[in-house]
Formats: sequence, structure tokens, C-alpha cells
Amino acid sequence: MLAAQHWFELLSQSPLGLYMQTSRWAFAVVEMVHLLAIAALGGSVLLIDLRLLGVILKGESAKSIGRDLGRILLGSLVVLIFSGIGLLSEESMKCYFSPAFRWKMALLASSIVFYFTLHRRALNRAGTASPGIRQRAIAVVSMLLWLGVGVAGRAIGLI
Amino acid sequence: MTQPVLQHICQVIYDSQIGTTIRESDYAFSIIESVHVLAITLLVGSISILDLRMLGLILREIPVTRVSRAVFPITWAGFAVMVTSGLLLFWAEAAKNYLNPAFRVKLLLLLLVGLNPLIFHTSIYRRVAEWELQHRSPWRARAAAIASLTLWSGIIVAGRAIAYF
Amino acid sequence: MKAKLATSALIVATLLAAVPAYAHHSFAAEFDGSKPTRLVGKITRVEWTNPHSYFYVDVSDSKGKVSNWGCEGAGPGALSRRGWKKGDLKIGDSIVVDGYRAKDGSHLIDARRVTLPDGRSVYGGSPGDGGPGDNGTVQGNLPGTGKS
Repeated sequence: MLAAQHWFELLSQSPLGLYMQTSRWAFAVVEMVHLLAIAALGGSVLLIDLRLLGVILKGESAKSIGRDLGRILLGSLVVLIFSGIGLLSEESMKCYFSPAFRWKMALLASSIVFYFTLHRRALNRAGTASPGIRQRAIAVVSMLLWLGVGVAGRAIGLI
Repeated sequence: MTQPVLQHICQVIYDSQIGTTIRESDYAFSIIESVHVLAITLLVGSISILDLRMLGLILREIPVTRVSRAVFPITWAGFAVMVTSGLLLFWAEAAKNYLNPAFRVKLLLLLLVGLNPLIFHTSIYRRVAEWELQHRSPWRARAAAIASLTLWSGIIVAGRAIAYF
Repeated sequence: MKAKLATSALIVATLLAAVPAYAHHSFAAEFDGSKPTRLVGKITRVEWTNPHSYFYVDVSDSKGKVSNWGCEGAGPGALSRRGWKKGDLKIGDSIVVDGYRAKDGSHLIDARRVTLPDGRSVYGGSPGDGGPGDNGTVQGNLPGTGKS
């Protein structure tokens, strides 16, 4: 099992990495795609979790809202992961050493796991009655986790 | 040496105490810029959901007015955050922004994206009760939705491009 | 509406096509690691600004001709965390800047290490950014140690 650092080095020296590092415009374009996908992901997370909180679309099925908006969430997540790998390949060693990047990956993993477990169960169980404390807590945790990914991502370039 | 009036105004704003403080700050600029970028989700993320509903792609069983009632407060909150943070960033960068083609394009697109709902709300949306239950909204509403998605995407791209000029 | 769409698409496409080579991201995209440069000169201008700081130095070449060079550094926040303060660089100060030239050939270098008049030197790279002097730490290799 190769050490993580070695994988980052491999990515840096891969054809993708070399292309991203030398191209005049590739990084800019990939970053813009990443940004557009953030808008889509953020919008879907916001509306799903505000429904869970019982703030909007009360009386509508949380499960079907979660299913519909979940498609946008997962679709944009896929775009974010692919574009993210592209961005990473341009500066993988800098990211490897960056505490902000490590936080972002930890928060991303947590967000994804949370989404497919507790969050999904809460959406499936949510009725049309006023949500209890557990359901509201799950909505808040979800929003904070995804927000954390965004903040950590910003920090990569600033620290 | 004469400058166009607008450029002179931008220079005055740029040189001001507040503009300079933000521009030379250790943390303020980074925080304001981060808020501006992350609030894109509040503003564009929310309105995109309404656009996709009218295009008949999501939440088809929910009437359009219910979706818009859920979305509009979020969009307006996002707009307030974007305008505030945007003005502060402009305050810090005004003289540079004046010369920046990406910034000019962004402003033009913002104007257009503001006209779009104006037209939409005074025409087809007036009769929303007639079509709000339809899975796919009438073509005028769909056109407004596509314009919204395209213009907002262009604004996000132009905003990012500011750093490259 | 169709005209508006087409116009928007055209604007976006033009913007993307017109983006110049200032990819402020990794060292390798904007600066040339095979062109190490040492500038010794007097500061003519300091821009202690976000998102990047810039300072300009007048450099005399061997024939005595003076040219002005720009040096790009990190923003004020990152610099202050390295121990710099806004007033550390004053117009007229003689400084030594070690860096690498911009790929587009302009008089711009990426300031990897700046030696201030009081003898202090400050490293400008980030750990792992791949630029010369990068050894994965915030101190970087000293120029001339042979480890670039």
C-alpha cells in the first residue's frame, strides 16, 4: 500500500497533471466548472434541508423532494469530484501539505457518508407534521458539513 | 490629464480610507470575497431550482407557486449578501475594476439578469394560476428559465475571470 | 429570448477564449522554473494589496541601463503570517529578490525569496507548490544551497 504522498506525486506527474500544469487556460476553465457545480450542489442541499427543518414546502413529501433534488446534488457532486481531481492534479503536492485541503477532504467524506445514512433515513421518515428535534438537528448538521467543505476549499488558496 | 468622469469616481472610491483598508487587509478582503463566492449558492442555487421546475425537470408534482414561494425569500437573502459583499469588494478594487473587461461584462449580464424577471413577472407569470400545475410550464416561462440559468452561469464565469485580467 | 441566449453564450465563450496566461495558481502555470533570476535594485513602488502584493524595483544592467521589474507576492494576510509588515518595504530601499521569470517574457518575477535591507530574508512560496526552494515547509530552501 503506497503512502498517500506517493499517490499525490503520481497524480502530479500523470498526463492529466502535466497537461493541467502547462496549459494556459485549462485550470481556469476547470475551476469555473467547479464553481458552477458548487452553485447547483448548494442550492439542492439548501432546499432539501430547509424542507427537513420544516421551513419550506411544508405538506409536500420530504421523500420525493429529497429524491428529486438528490439527483441534482449527486449529479453536481460527480462534476465536483471530476473537476476537483483536475484542479488537484495541477497542484497536488501543495494540496497534500495544505491543512485546508485535508480538512476539506475530511469534511467532504463526512458529508457524503452523512448524506447516505442518517440524512437519507430522516428524509424517508419525515412526515408532514412539524419536525422533531432529531430531524432538525440532522438538517442543520448537513448544512454545516457542506458549508464546511466550501469554506475549507476557499482556505486552500488563501492560507 | 483628464479622465472620464466615471473613471475618476472609481479612482476616488479606490483611494478612499475604507477601500484602501479592505484592499490592504490581512483578513477582511479574504473573508468578504469568500462570503461573496459561497453566497452564490444562496442566490443562484435557489433560483435555479425554480428554473428547473418550470422546465419540467424536477418537483413536477408541486405547483410552481409553491416552489416560488419557497425559493424567493432565499434568493432575495442571497441577493442582499451578494450586493453587500460585492459593493465592499468594488470599494476596494474600483479603479482596477473600471479597466477590467470581465468586470464590465459581469455588470452587463447582471443588468440583463435583472430585466429577465421583470419581463417574466409582468407577463406570463401574471397568469400563473392557469399553468402552475402543469409539469412543463408554457414556453415563455421556460424561455425565462433558460435565460436565467444562462445569464447566471455567465455572471459566475465573468466574476471568476476578473482575476485573470 | 433566443437572441439573448445566443448573445450570452457568445459572451461566455469569448470571455473564456480571451483569458490570458495569468493563471495565478501553481507556480508552473505562470512562471518558468528554468529561468532563475536574482534582482538587486531599489524599490520604486509597493502595492500591499489583496489578492496579490506587488513591488517594483529599478534594476541596472551591466551597461548601466535601468529597467523596472515587478515582483509578485502573496496577499497581505499570508505575508503577515510570514512575519512581514506593510512598512517593511520602503521606496528607495535596496532589496534582493530571488525568483523566477514570467513565462510570457514580461518584466515580472514570482518573488520566492526577498532579502530586506536589515538582512532578514523571507520565503514566499507555499509548501508543496513545486516552485524552486520548495521543500514542503514554510521556510523553503535557501538559494544557493543547491537544493531547488
